[in-house]
Amino acid sequence: MERGEALSGRVQVPPAPRGWSRTFGVLNPLKAVWWLFTNVRFALVLLVVLCSLSLLGVLLPQKPLAVRGDAMLEAGWLKMQEGKFGFLTGPLDEVQLFDIFHARWFGILLALTAVSTGAYVVSRLPGAWRAVTQPRKRVPDRFFETAPNRLEVAEALDTERLEEALRRARYRVERFDEAGSTHLFADRFAWGGLGTLFTHAAVIVFLLSAVVSKADAFSSPLFLAEGSTLPIFPVRDANQMQVELRDAKAQFAADGQALDYRSEIAIYRRGEELKRCTSTVNSPCTFAGYKFYQSAYFGFGAEVQVRDLQTGNTIYRETLALAGTAKAPHVVIRDGAGTVLVDQTLVLTDELNGKDFTYRGTLVRLPSGRLVSVGLQTADDGDERLAVLEPGQGDGLVQLSLAEGESGDSGGLQVSYQKAEALPYATVPDLPVPATDAGAGTPALQLSNVVYGTDKTSAGDATLAASHGGPAVLTLTGLAAQAVKLQPGESVRVGGYEYSFLGQREFAGITVKRDRSDYLVWVGAVLILAGLMATFWVPRRRFWAKITATRTVMAGQAPAHARYTRELKRLARRAGSAPETLKDEH
Amino acid sequence: MTDNLQVSEPLEPGSGLSVGSRGVFRRIVLPILVIGVIAAAIWWLESRGGDDVSPTGERYGPVELPAAVRTAGLDIGTEEGQLAPDFLLGSLDGGEVRLSALRGQPVVLNFWATWCAPCRKELPQFVAAYDRHRNEGLVVLAVNMQEGKSIARDKAREFGMKFPVPIDVDGEVGDEYRLLGLPMTYFIDRAGVVRSVFSGPLQERRTDTDVRGAIEQSDLEQRIAQIVGAGPP
Repeated sequence: MERGEALSGRVQVPPAPRGWSRTFGVLNPLKAVWWLFTNVRFALVLLVVLCSLSLLGVLLPQKPLAVRGDAMLEAGWLKMQEGKFGFLTGPLDEVQLFDIFHARWFGILLALTAVSTGAYVVSRLPGAWRAVTQPRKRVPDRFFETAPNRLEVAEALDTERLEEALRRARYRVERFDEAGSTHLFADRFAWGGLGTLFTHAAVIVFLLSAVVSKADAFSSPLFLAEGSTLPIFPVRDANQMQVELRDAKAQFAADGQALDYRSEIAIYRRGEELKRCTSTVNSPCTFAGYKFYQSAYFGFGAEVQVRDLQTGNTIYRETLALAGTAKAPHVVIRDGAGTVLVDQTLVLTDELNGKDFTYRGTLVRLPSGRLVSVGLQTADDGDERLAVLEPGQGDGLVQLSLAEGESGDSGGLQVSYQKAEALPYATVPDLPVPATDAGAGTPALQLSNVVYGTDKTSAGDATLAASHGGPAVLTLTGLAAQAVKLQPGESVRVGGYEYSFLGQREFAGITVKRDRSDYLVWVGAVLILAGLMATFWVPRRRFWAKITATRTVMAGQAPAHARYTRELKRLARRAGSAPETLKDEH
Repeated sequence: MTDNLQVSEPLEPGSGLSVGSRGVFRRIVLPILVIGVIAAAIWWLESRGGDDVSPTGERYGPVELPAAVRTAGLDIGTEEGQLAPDFLLGSLDGGEVRLSALRGQPVVLNFWATWCAPCRKELPQFVAAYDRHRNEGLVVLAVNMQEGKSIARDKAREFGMKFPVPIDVDGEVGDEYRLLGLPMTYFIDRAGVVRSVFSGPLQERRTDTDVRGAIEQSDLEQRIAQIVGAGPP
């Protein structure tokens, strides 16, 4: 006999389909999809899969950003992984396990989770709203026997006192009088019932913010020299803005550790300076919804100007980053009496290529007028030693060869090779060179006597380069047969051009960002906090009581952590029940 | 039920404002006010940039090429062989430049910005070329892209740019000329026809002499020779 038939007696009612059968039994695909997305188990499966894949994405090496999208670089990177994953490398790459977070299927899973969570919230919202605004105020007697939190008092409690106790506990109380019994319904933190929905809504907002961020986020890294300007957007953008680096500052600890980078910047739009502000790593400057973060710093820059003496016009003015290094030996030369004649880091400017060695050196004029050439001689096998040559004493013949830290005597001089230092260095192939001096080699710059960052704008005493005090010295080679040395503000004329060293400059990396999903993240954070607070701090409590002439039964619903049976006892005591009359049912 | 329909009763005794008149306010006055405020805001936004409008009230940017200077059979465009699109821009010296007004003169139209290092490097070439060919009527227009006069002026003075430096504040002229990047240079002959387009920095003369002893012309010189010699004088 069918269940429906047994219940109805005369009319045959088909059994109510449940779960999948309820969904697919009616062959309604839309309903099936809705059922799937509102199914908690499906959502849980999605979350577990997502968590597992994310964990896998942390454990497995992921393709670096610099490699992604470049077939050659990707192939090279995969080749490296073969050492670790062997024959599995290919299949793992095929299923994008080396690029999980950018894989299309990962995005689809995320989208499915968002839709599932959204569907859950939407499907539960009407019920949750009804439960809050129209709670069930009368429960059947059976509920007082089966409720998870219940209490029986073997006497008729004073209804007025119970109501008063509930109100004092900040319950909203309603009373229903019937023949022979009185029913009470009380509700506290009714809105707390929406906490779970808030938490779920927060998950949707977070996922939405990820989508907005991916679709809308803007980031433009700029590397600027002091006094220079760079645009934020590609050329022709109608909303073009420019950033000018007015001053870059760096602060270092005594051990050279960077403490703080900050930049004074100006922002221009349509030719007008609209904002001047300070940007740091953690406190970006904000303008028109864009944030200007300090993202990098470089302290070895030199501003160089070249003027055509015939026209008086500047033909070259650039701030150059001396990002390379050139070896420079720190040498002490004493005379026979031990008097120090030279104690400095030598900027090597001359190069000599021998049969089986390379020599980079410089002429050093001693106080007596005597000239010696001191430099580093590198053998073909890489061995590098300080070499001292003396013109007129057999050119090309090394009088003295010293390793770092060694000393030796040559021609009445005691030479000590203290240590090898490194000077900021850069070649400048496009530096204008007088035609008459062409062939002197590629122009190159070396900065000596400098600290990392100018003393004018930076604090601290980090010395990544040799510094012996005094003004910075810029050595230019490749302009003429002889190297040119300039201090800040100095100029030199070579073959119709005037070369000026305008000063040491600093560089700053400024990253311009806009991510409107920030606001969504805040909304999500507020929602999730509100949801968690509502759920754990103010959990909803519902109370029902039936008071008859001989006994009082009470039942309540609240989350387990609320320990509600204890509250029922407390309410009963406040309503005047004697302890011995309490029968704890739970 | 009837009470609910009594909508035209005065809201406040003696106020004279009825729901009917409120309807007129909502339906007619309010929309007009909103539209008026929006229009005023747009007008204010458009008009506040004084640098965008010429003294005659004409907006700076691309303009229609006058019929009088059009050539039958030639399209307007930035491809070689097409008539260069016209524009009107304010320049650094406070004046304004209209490309079509330069008809009859060869024009080197260079787009640059102070932040653009390759632009800075080729500017001395334009300065020198202008000095060499100004007697032949050559005009160099160094259109600065979207920077302020204060920024461009220092650089122009320093580099000795004696030719007009128009400022394309909105980047609309650059848009019209389909700039791929900076620098970009158009060589326009006396008839207003684009003879060649060069994207990137122009190469300077590479060597003093070639194997036959003749001076090798730079890219710029070759292209200037093309526009100086072409079209009616």
